[in-house]
Parts: sequence; C-alpha cells; structure tokens
Amino acid sequence: MPSPTLPAPLRGVTKQLNRSITQALGLTEAVTLRRTDPTSVDAPLTAGPVLVIGQGEDADAVAHHLHDAHLDVRRNLAAPTQQRWGAVVVVLTDLDAPGEEAERVLALGATLRELARCARVVTISRAVGEGDAPATAAARAGVSGLVRSLGKELRQGATANGIELAAGVAVTDPAALGTLRFLLSARSAFVDGQLLPVTGPGRAPADWTRPLVGSVVVVTGAARGIGAETVRVLARDGAHVLGVDVPAAGEALAHVMNEVGGVALQLDITSPDAGERLLERVARGPFNGRLDVLVHNAGILRDKLLANMRPEQWEPVIAVNLAAQVAVTTAVAQAHPGLVQVSLASTSGIAGNRGQTNYGFSKAGVIGATQAWAPVLAAGGGRANAVAPGFIETEMTASIPTMQREISRRVSSLGQGGKPVDVAEAVAFLASPQAGGINGAVLRVCGQNLVGR
Amino acid sequence: MTSTTPTPSATSPDTSAVVRPSGTAVVVGGNRTPFAKAGGHYAGASNLDMLTTVLDGLVARLGLAGERIGEVRAGAVLNHSKDFNLAREAVLGTTLAPTTPAVTVQRACATSIEAAWDLANKITLGQISSGIAGGADSTSDAPIVVSERLRHTLLKLNRARTVPDRLKLVGQLRPADLAPVAPNVNEPRTGLSMGEHQALTNLQWQVTREAQDAVALASHTQLARAWEDGLFDDLVTPFRGLTRDAALRADTTAEALAKLRTVFGNDHPEPTMTAGNSTPLSDGAAAVLLASPAWAAEHGLPALARVVDAEAAAVDFVHGQEGLLMGGAYAVPRLLARQGLGLDDIDLVEIHEAFAGVVVATTTAWADTTFCSEKLGLPALGTLDTDKLNVAGSSLAAGHPFAATGARIVATLATLLARRKAALIADGGSPDTPVRGLISVCAAGGQAVAMLLEA
Amino acid sequence: MSRDGEWIGDWLDEPGAETAERASAASDAVPERIETLAAVPNPGAVYLGALGRAGRAIVTTSSLTTSLPDVALRADLTLDRERLDAYAHLVGERALDTAPPGFVHVSVFGLQLALMGRGDFPLPMLGMVHVANRIEQLRPAGVGETLTATTWARRLVSRPVGDGMGTQVDLVTEVRAGGELVWQGVSTYLARSTQISGLTVLDRPEHPEFVAPTPTGGWDTTLRLSKDYAAVSGDRNPIHTSRLAARGFGYRSTIAHGMDTAARALAALGPRRGDAFTWSVEFAAPVLVPGRVAVGVERRDDVDPADGGTRAGYALTVWDPRRGRLHVASTLAHA
Repeated sequence: MPSPTLPAPLRGVTKQLNRSITQALGLTEAVTLRRTDPTSVDAPLTAGPVLVIGQGEDADAVAHHLHDAHLDVRRNLAAPTQQRWGAVVVVLTDLDAPGEEAERVLALGATLRELARCARVVTISRAVGEGDAPATAAARAGVSGLVRSLGKELRQGATANGIELAAGVAVTDPAALGTLRFLLSARSAFVDGQLLPVTGPGRAPADWTRPLVGSVVVVTGAARGIGAETVRVLARDGAHVLGVDVPAAGEALAHVMNEVGGVALQLDITSPDAGERLLERVARGPFNGRLDVLVHNAGILRDKLLANMRPEQWEPVIAVNLAAQVAVTTAVAQAHPGLVQVSLASTSGIAGNRGQTNYGFSKAGVIGATQAWAPVLAAGGGRANAVAPGFIETEMTASIPTMQREISRRVSSLGQGGKPVDVAEAVAFLASPQAGGINGAVLRVCGQNLVGR
Repeated sequence: MTSTTPTPSATSPDTSAVVRPSGTAVVVGGNRTPFAKAGGHYAGASNLDMLTTVLDGLVARLGLAGERIGEVRAGAVLNHSKDFNLAREAVLGTTLAPTTPAVTVQRACATSIEAAWDLANKITLGQISSGIAGGADSTSDAPIVVSERLRHTLLKLNRARTVPDRLKLVGQLRPADLAPVAPNVNEPRTGLSMGEHQALTNLQWQVTREAQDAVALASHTQLARAWEDGLFDDLVTPFRGLTRDAALRADTTAEALAKLRTVFGNDHPEPTMTAGNSTPLSDGAAAVLLASPAWAAEHGLPALARVVDAEAAAVDFVHGQEGLLMGGAYAVPRLLARQGLGLDDIDLVEIHEAFAGVVVATTTAWADTTFCSEKLGLPALGTLDTDKLNVAGSSLAAGHPFAATGARIVATLATLLARRKAALIADGGSPDTPVRGLISVCAAGGQAVAMLLEA
Repeated sequence: MSRDGEWIGDWLDEPGAETAERASAASDAVPERIETLAAVPNPGAVYLGALGRAGRAIVTTSSLTTSLPDVALRADLTLDRERLDAYAHLVGERALDTAPPGFVHVSVFGLQLALMGRGDFPLPMLGMVHVANRIEQLRPAGVGETLTATTWARRLVSRPVGDGMGTQVDLVTEVRAGGELVWQGVSTYLARSTQISGLTVLDRPEHPEFVAPTPTGGWDTTLRLSKDYAAVSGDRNPIHTSRLAARGFGYRSTIAHGMDTAARALAALGPRRGDAFTWSVEFAAPVLVPGRVAVGVERRDDVDPADGGTRAGYALTVWDPRRGRLHVASTLAHA
C-alpha cells in the first residue's frame, strides 16, 4: 500500500514501513549497533579481525600500525576460519587513473559476505588536489561515490566510510591513523557513508583510549540530551568539563556535572557578557585558566512554516543557535587563540527541512561559521569543525509525530535513529589531539540519511 | 631508585597537610533553591531532599565532587525527629566525599548564619580549612504530631496487659484527641505568634503602615532587579521546576500593598501588618561555602568576602522589656562598637525582613540616642542610608524558609561585596580599600545574630 | 523502487559467532501484536478483576493455555510527582526530579499484572512468586516526561521447585521517551505448582552456601511499612498485607514486597548508584513480617557475571541476621 502522501524518495521504504507500522510502529531497532562499552573503551577496537587490502608502503604502514594497536590484522583475502571480518581497510592512496582501483574494490566485494555484525569498511585515499591530472582527479573523486554507494548496500549495522588525505599528509600521520581508529571503533556506530578530509598531521595522544586526559572542555547546552551525553563521553575520554546551560536548567545541569566530577555554570549564552563570564569561570579552579576545547551544542527548536513564522520563533533560534556561538567564540578565541571548536550543525542545515526555515538557517550558518573560523583558529594552533546529527532519539525528537518520526528513522542506511551518545562520540573525536589534521570539516552522524547531499 | 637516602621531599614536613591558624575565613560561594510558597512547588520535598539538593548544586557550581570538606554544619527549624542527624544524612546523599563530617544545628531563623559563624571560627583557628553552612525548612513537610492525650494513651496502651485495660484506655480518648496537631511557630513562652509580637513592637516604635509597605515594595523591586541582572545565576539552582522565588511580585506597587487587609495586631486601634509586609511561610534551602584563603587559592576559587566578626544578642521579650524581634538593635551596635566602626563605614546592610516592621523598628532604634545610651550604653549609630539596605531584596520578596535565610544572606552579601570591590578597583580604586557589609538576622526566642563581612 | 531488490541477501543470517546473542535478541523482540491501553491499569483493579473472574480458578490451577500470549501491552504514562515523593521517602531515596529504578517498576507494574491477568496467560496470576528482577537503566526517567511502556512475556520454562516442577516466565517491560529507550526491566515470576509439559526444563539452580557479608545496615520490617509500600506501589497482593491470605499461600506471616526490600538495599548505596546501570536482583527467600533484616553493601570489580564479569559496581545483599538466611542477592553494575 504505497502511501500517496509520501514524498517520492521515501516510497522505496514503504514496504519496510508498512511492515513495521503494522508491527506496532516497529519501535524495535533494526540491529543493535555496537557502541562503546564505557568499562572497556576501544577494547576490542573492532568486532573481529581486520583485513587490509592493498599493496605498497602505505598499506603496509597501515597494517603495521593496526597490528601495533593489538588488532588481529590479516593481509590474506581468505576468510578467517570461524570468524567474520570486523573491518576491511582498503588503501587506495596510490590511485593515478580510473581502473587501478578495480582489483582492490572487487577484492573488497568478495569479503562483504563475511562481515561481522557492525563491521567497518574504511577506504584511505587521496583527496582531489589542485593541479591533479584529470585522470588522477577522476580516480580520486571516484572513491567517494564508491563509499557512499557501498554504505547503502551494507546490512546488519555495518558501515562504509572513507578518509581523504590531503597532499603532504602521510598515512602514518597521527591524524590519518586517529581518524582510521575512530572509523574502525564502536565510537563511530552511527557514522556511515562519510568521507573525512584530513589536511594536517595531527598529534598522537599519550593514551588512545583516553585522548583528552588533562584537557579542559566547555560544553554548552550540557544539561540534557546530546549535550549531557557529550559531557559524559568527554569525561570518559579524560577531559575536565565545564558544563554550561541556562539558569532554568540548573538542577539537571548540576546533576550531570556532579556525575562526571565537572563544574556547572548557569549562563544564558545569548547574554552580552556570556563570553566574559565563561572566561571568568575558566580562570578559576579546577581549570585555572586552561581552556582547550569549546563545544557549541546549545540549540533550540521553534518549528513553524515560514508563512506562519513570527519574530518570537525566528529570532531566538538564530540568537541561540548561531549568533551566540559566534559572539562567544570571538570572545574566547582572543584569550585562547589555540582553541579547538566543535559545533553542532544538523542535517537540516545541509538538506533543509519543512517547518525549519529558522533552524535550517541557523544550522547552515553554523557550517558557514565553522569554515570561516577554521583558518582563523588554525593560525593559533586550533581548529574548527562541526558535527551534523541526523535523526537522533532525544527528548526533543520525541515530540515529532509518530509517523514522521518513524519515517525519519527508516530513511537512513542503518535503518534506525541514532543515539545522543553517537553524536557525543563524534564530538569527542573532533576534540581530540589525533583529530588535529581535520579542520573546517562537517562530520555527519546520520546513519547515512537519504536526505542531503 | 637504588639510593637509600630519603629524598628531600620525604623528609621535609609536608606543610600543606598542616593546617595553621590562618586568622581568616572567607566566603567562597553559595547556593540555594528558589524559595517556594508553603504547600507549593516543594510540597512533597523533605528537608533532607532540599538540603541534599542544595549541597549538590553547590558542589556542581564549584567543582567539588568527591571532595572532603572540613565540616558541613546545617539544620532545620521544623525538624522531624527522624532527621535528628539531618546534616550528616544530607552529606551522605551528595557527591561530596562520604568522609565529610557534619553537624546538625539549630538557632531558629538564625540557624544557618550561626552555622556560618561557627565554621568561620573553626577556620580562623585553623581547625578546619573549609566548611559548608546551610539550612532547609519546609512548612509543607513540617512534622505533624499527635495530641498529648493521644500520646499518653498510646504509651499506656503499650504497657496495658489485658484487653479490658486496653479498651478502657481507648474509651478515654475523645475525637479531638485524634486530630493531628500542626506545627506551631508561636513563641512557647508567650503563646503569641511572631506577627502578634511584631505588632506590639510596631506600636512601641510607632512604625507606620506606609513605612512598612515602603520596605516591602523596595524588597520586591530590588529582588526582581537582581534576578533580571543575573545576580542569582551563580547563587541559585532551580528545584522541581521552580526557577525563581515564588513569593516575588516584580510588578507590585505601593497602591497594591496599601490595599491589603491587615492580618496581625487587629485588636490594636490601627493595625498595620498585612500579608504584603510580613514574610510568607516558605519552603527552601540554602548553603554557603567558607574556607581559609589558602584553601580557596588551592582550589582556584574566589575569596568573595572575609568574615570579620559576629555578635549574638538576646532580649527579654517575656517580661515585656523588649520586642521579640529587636535583637538586631542590640547585636549590631555591639558588633560595630567592638570593631570601632560606624554605619558610615559600612557599604551594604542586610536586615532580614521577618516583617517589614523589624527593619523599620531596628533602624529606628539604631538612630535613637535614648535607646542606645539606656539599653546599650553606646552612642547612637545614626540614620541608615536606605540605599545601602537590602539592595538585592530580602525575605519579604524572596520568602523565608527559616533555617535557610542566614546562608542566603551571607552568600548574597558576599557576592555583592566582591562585585562592588571589583568595580571599585576597575574604577582605579585601591585594592586596600575595604568594602564592608553588615548582616542582622532576628530569630525566635528574642535572639539575633549580626555579622560583619569585608571584601 | 523496492529496496528489497537490492539487498545482498541473508548472508548475515548464516550461523556465526553471534548466533547466541542474536537468538536471545530475537526472543527479546516485541511481539507483533500490540494492544495499546489508555493508561497503565491500576493494579488493584486488575487484582479485583482476577479475583472476581468466575469460572476460572486463578490461584492454584493452570489456565487453559500452555503458551504465552503473543501480544504486548502498551500504555503512555508520566511519573507522578506525589507518588514518587511518597515512594522515595518510604524506601529511603531522595525525592528528586528523576525516579529511582524501582519507582519506574512500580509505575509500569499494572501493565505486567494486566498481561498476567489475561485469559490467555498460561499461569495463575495470584500466587506467582517474583524470583528475580533485572533492570537496565540507560538514564533516569524524569517527572512529567511523557513515557511509553510496553510489556510482554517471554521464556516460559519449567523449573524444579522442591520435589516437583514449577513454571517460570519473564515479563519484559520497555520504557521509552519518544524512541529513546530509557529503562528496561525483566521480571521473572515462578508459578510454583503449575506444570506445563513440553517446555524447556531449567537445571535446578545451584545454591552455594550463603556466607553473610559484613553488614552495613539493616531495618525492621513491619506490616505498616508493607501497607505503605502496597499503597505507593499499587501492589496490593494480599500476601503482603493480610496474614490470612499469606497463610493461605503457605507462609507463616505476611511477606515483604520483594521490590521493596530490593529498593531499600539499593537506597543504602546512595548517590553512588549513578545514572546508567544494570540492577539485578534475585529473591532467594521471602522476608517475613514483622522482623529484622541486615543489608550489606560491598564494592566489587566484577559485579555482574551476566556481563562476563567485567563491570564494576556493588553487591547488595539482604539477609536474616539471626538465622543467617539469604533473602535478596542483588548487584548494581555501572554502565
């Protein structure tokens, strides 16, 4: 019964939908995704042995690194007995012309039936660079199409993602290896069909499982949902966290911050002195003036069709989600020029969403600001990136009508909504030193949602 | 290391572990719930719930999770017998280290300022280096007791051995004996409510309705402005969905206050006391952290203001010698005399507004030469500049959960003094110029506690 | 365009390393048929309905069916402020804006009862013994939040009881806020004298000799407390509140609610409980009322054997200090 009211791109999923809706709206998840066990972070890193496909120095270096990380690394395409592949890494850094990829891609294809649940496919290739020969550019660009298509073919929680190394970045640089680790690990459970550009070397953390030890991170909107979960993951990764939220959310904020031994600051980030007050608090104990990372998570929704939109729906959304971020970073970056900024964008800011002209404006604006901050903060040794969540199950999305919510869940390659922790993991990764080679990027955490570019 | 020679650090005394009398205790930070109306937002919350929550909010604000504090000293005025160890029970429910000792104290409405004073003294003596003073009170969760007759009968029933004996005892009970007895905040000695006592004091000091309403109006407008200015962002954590003090009426006017009917002293010729110029019954909790300057520095936390001195007074209200709530008229002049200070040396004054009349009568007494010389043997303090008085509002607008009020005032005043000092320095003033604040909290039983803070 | 046409196939359904895990996940799945109720039924009304149902002996004899109803019951609910306050103060928790895990249990208990009270439920509702309970809390549920609870039954198995065979069943309840799973409980009930043929037979559980830990506390049980718990939980099973009824079921006196005892032991842990955890409870022997029990709180590094023994947390034990008899063995494993 294809519903005529469904937009065209969704008709393909009506069968699934109908089944699930008759099955009591199918609130059970397609596959329980493999997520980080807080009592055993990154151990094991993958769901099974890792196959590294490719020959040459780069593939060897990747294999050696993963071996040193205590992974069961194989170079032999034969399936491991009694086990399934936890991950397949395809090294394509040497592609110079279309056609050179064929053997490796087809070898990858032969492994797909042997993937474990929530396995990972990760390509490592070179980004198209200025002055690339047309054939080289063609081969390099082709990889992204491969990854995005493969993401849509994989089942059982498996994901396909790629790393695009800029010229001058070696596969052995901490940023390349750190990104690879992130994509292999349970931390990237809901990241699918994404290509992460690595443009700098990054820095290896002293402890890969607690990469933020000693660093001070400020998280806005920390009292609930994604913000609260981000606080927990950052603390798990070793950070000292200053959680910020509006005074009215103070009780929940205090609870979250006490749970992780952090500090609560009741502050409306839209107030003119917000940056100053934030700096004042950071100047005190237990931070004593240190500030490494600023996570702009605070955001509000005031959905309305534009025809019905009033100033009280438009203005606060722009003020909280966008203007306040710019103002706060402007103030904070003066005092901490090496600031690492991670902002929460949204797939609504990329693809747009009916009823969310205000929210879409603010979140597209966040992406613009991120790209503008990137070179500015890089000059001081910092960086700016954004995380764009897709459909995430939170108190906020709980208010969406059931049917629409169900559709939103099902239109991703992983066939489900994400969890706040999935976004938190991506934020924590971008906050970490090994993500130092990623700047000005937008990392989607959407389970490869069909919408958007 | 193979050398057997102890390293220098192992032989030299660990000075950080030795607490030496620092001679100074400072206020570091505070927290309170918004104050609710009796039977309102916090109707189901116990004193223990509120005190625990307020301590947790303080811990989160200052980053003290897992920290062992030298002492938590707190109490409630209307206390259940099961909460006999309220402060320690509260500590065990917080994220403070469970090894934090605690003392449950009670000095009526001066409970938490008394606690702050005690802690300041221990810190000054070097016995502890940090302490949290606090209080919680819920008129909604006040202990309901059974009547004396029922209590006696129940005790006898316990001892009675035969069924006829028991039936006989039960037969002696009257229906009225079975009704629960609500808590009574009347003065046990006089049987008068505090309001009736204050009505007498108002008569004696000729406190007018207009003067009382003016105090109430100022309290509401100034508290509202402080909320708008964000003063309480760092002093209050919301609780159970209440984000601001429930009694606060930001839009009240002199006309509205003038229209209220009188509730106390109605058998006097011209009653003046209304619900507008008397504090509402309230629920809430407050806490304030005090520490040695070294502890504060070590934790990277601010020394908002120093606790300079404090003085308690008690008056003989039983024999009609003095008004019940006039203790502040004694404690404050004695405190200032000991410190060699006059009202002009004080930048901010906080007088707990149990009733607006308390503020008017107390300040009138300070200015009264006859009163000061006859009752205190001291020169009059002079007239208080009302611009210095309760600049961020007080109990009339905020509400007054009995045991919480002292901690609310100490934390608020310390914050105000620290800001004033920072502004002074920003304007090119000398960091050596003291900014002083004075507190007067009257309490049941004819008592009062005064405290002097300095930033 | 059907996405099905593009599916690679069922290659992941081949037997593999995760078979066992997937098998258990499959039986955890919500039944296809879901009945949505207007609200979580009032347990008292369900009991009365059960008691009043003519023509069906619900106490000792089994019903006509021998399999579990393939249906789940679902209802929206919000946690009640006043009831939460009363619950928290009764079991010794702080009354916060979020609920202790045991309060969520009592708030959805009516759904469990309604399922067990159905005509097609194979076991007699009254007289079933709560033998174990496992709650996974992903985050605390808040007062006023709109929650959806779904309850279904699974794992109907035979199990030795004394000299005979009894039948045991798991009642699974999921509580979600929107789509977000917040709380999941599995309550295991045993019908001591109902035997259904053809079910999987569990081994007789091994009971290692109980060695009492160091007590860290204790409390007196009274009929008054039982009645208060019955009022706040809605679990007015007369076995807890009437000596006569308790005797009818073979007990010397009334017995405390298992989840009351467990909740008091959990409250003894205080704020160290944290926000995300698995709370597993086994009810070894009923707590007779009135009496006195001891509780022991012990920190452990490998608290929950069900999770491979890797999670840190606490063991919370309740026993009779005079007889040295175990009542409740429970663990709290941090997520």
